Amino acid sequence: MPHTLTELVAGITPTVIDETRPFWEGTLASELRVQVCAACGAKQLPGGPCCTSCWSQDLRWERASGRGTVFSFTIVRHPFHPSFAEQVPYVVADVQLDEGPIFTSNVTDLGVEEVTIGMPVEVWFDNEIEDAFHTKLRLPKFRPIKG
Amino acid sequence: MSISGKTALVGVGVTAFGKVPGRSAWSLQTEAVRKAIEDAGLTKDDVDALLTESQFSEPLLLHGHALGRMLGLKTNFLSSMSIGGATAGAIVQQAAMAIDAGLCEVAVCVYGETAKTGLPMLFGKAQMGRGQADDMAFGMAGGPVMEARSAMRYKHEYGVTDEMFGAVPVAFREHATRNPNATYRDPLTMEDYLAARMVAEPLRVLDCCIGASDGAVALVVTSAERARDCAKPPVFIAGMGQGANLDGLKDPTHYTRFAGARSSERAFRMAGIATEDVDVAQWYDCFTSTVLITIEDYGFCKRGEAGPFALEGNLGLGGKLPSNTNGGMLSEANLTGWNNLAEGVRQIRGESTSQVDGAEVCVVSGHGGFQVAHSTLVLTTG
Repeated sequence: MPHTLTELVAGITPTVIDETRPFWEGTLASELRVQVCAACGAKQLPGGPCCTSCWSQDLRWERASGRGTVFSFTIVRHPFHPSFAEQVPYVVADVQLDEGPIFTSNVTDLGVEEVTIGMPVEVWFDNEIEDAFHTKLRLPKFRPIKG
Repeated sequence: MSISGKTALVGVGVTAFGKVPGRSAWSLQTEAVRKAIEDAGLTKDDVDALLTESQFSEPLLLHGHALGRMLGLKTNFLSSMSIGGATAGAIVQQAAMAIDAGLCEVAVCVYGETAKTGLPMLFGKAQMGRGQADDMAFGMAGGPVMEARSAMRYKHEYGVTDEMFGAVPVAFREHATRNPNATYRDPLTMEDYLAARMVAEPLRVLDCCIGASDGAVALVVTSAERARDCAKPPVFIAGMGQGANLDGLKDPTHYTRFAGARSSERAFRMAGIATEDVDVAQWYDCFTSTVLITIEDYGFCKRGEAGPFALEGNLGLGGKLPSNTNGGMLSEANLTGWNNLAEGVRQIRGESTSQVDGAEVCVVSGHGGFQVAHSTLVLTTG
C-alpha cells in the first residue's frame, strides 16, 4: 500500500515503476544509468517499455559516465509547489549527458546566477528517500566539473 | 474530397470569466452550452453530439458521460478529449469530422473550470500517471518552470531581448482594456513589464498567462448547409491541422521549434491560404515565448525574427498581425485556449471588442502539454 493517496496523486516524489526500476536501483549504488536498446544501440531516459527509435523491447541498462553539459535551465524564484518554498531560488536544468539523453535535474554547488548554457557538469546523489510504495531511491543532481 | 468549408461554427457561449464564486464547474459548463445553443438559434432537441474537455480540478475519464446526463442529452456522437492546450482546436476538428462523416448533425463542444475559487487544477502524476512525472522531484512544478527552459534556450540562440518578450503582453493588454470580460483591463506599459518579478527566469510573472480562472466556453459546430439557417453568420472551418512532438524537451531540437510548423502547414494547405491572407490570429499564449516561437513556426517570421516583429507593434490593431484581440490568456482568462477560440469566432463575425476591420481569415493555435501537442484552425467568412 502507498504511504498516502495524496503522495501518489499529487506528491513530488518519483514513483518507481517497472520501466524505471533499474534506473532508481542504480542511484542507490551511486550509478547514473541509461537504458540501451540491444537491437539498435540507441540510449534513452527515462526508461520505457520499448526503444523509441526502433520499438525493440530488448532493452538493457548501462552505467553512464555521469558527465554532461547544461543544454538549458531556469532559475526558479517563485515556489509554485509548497514543497519547494524553502528551496527558492533554485536551478532546474536540462543536462545533456555525454551519452546523449537529456536528464532534467538540479544544478547545485554554485550560485544560481552562475549557471550557464554549455556548462560542463557531473552527477552526485542526494540523500536516500522513499517513493509512495516504500521503494528507496536517491535523486541524481549535478554540480560543475572543477578545473 | 476536402473537408475544408464543409462545416461551420454557429454558436458561442461564454460565462463570466475570472472569479465566479459559488458555482460548480458543471454549472458553468451548462450555462455556456445553453448560451451557445441560444446564440446559434437552435434548441436542446437539435443537439445530437457532445464533445468535452474535463475540468483539470477533477481530471475525469468519462467527463462527457457525466455532463451529458446532467444536460439530459441523447447523442449520436460523444467524446471526451485531453491533449493539453491543443484540446479546444482538436475537439472542434473532431466535431467537424464527425459531422462531415455523417455521424451527427449538431455538435456542442465545451470546457469549464472553477480553478480560481473552487478546487485547484491537478497536474503531474494525476494526469500523466505513476513514474511519468518524476521531474517534479527536482522542482519541475508549475507551468512556468516547464516552459522557461524553452524560453531560455530561445533567448540564447537568437539574442531575444526582455523587451521583445514584453511587447507581447503589452499588445494583448491593450486589447483587453476594451474587453469587459477580461480579468486584467488596466493598461500595461513596457516599464511595468520590466519591473515585474521573475518567477522562473527568463520568465517574469507577466510572461505567464493567468494562473487560474473560473469560467466556461461552449461552441456549436454544424454542417455548412445547416449553418446558413442559423441565427448568426456562419464561421467556416476552412483549415485544420495537428502536430505533436511527443518527447517534448527530451529532444534538443524541440526547445525553439514546436510542432506548430507541421500543424499550420497542413491547415493552411487545406484552407488554400498563405500567411499574407491572414487578417487576425489568436495564439495559444500560455507564455510569451510560446507566442513568438509559434509565429515563427507558422512562417509569419523567419527564425529569431518574431521578437523584433512584436517589438515593432505588429501584434496590435493596425499592425501586420493583430493577435489575441480578447487579451488572450495573458489578460482575459486562462481557459486553456477555449476563450481564444471563442474570440476567433467573434472576429470572423465582426463582434470583437477589438475588431479587425473586414476580418475574413482568422488563425487559432492550440498548444499544450508543455511543447508537445499542437492544433491549428483556419476560420473564414466563406
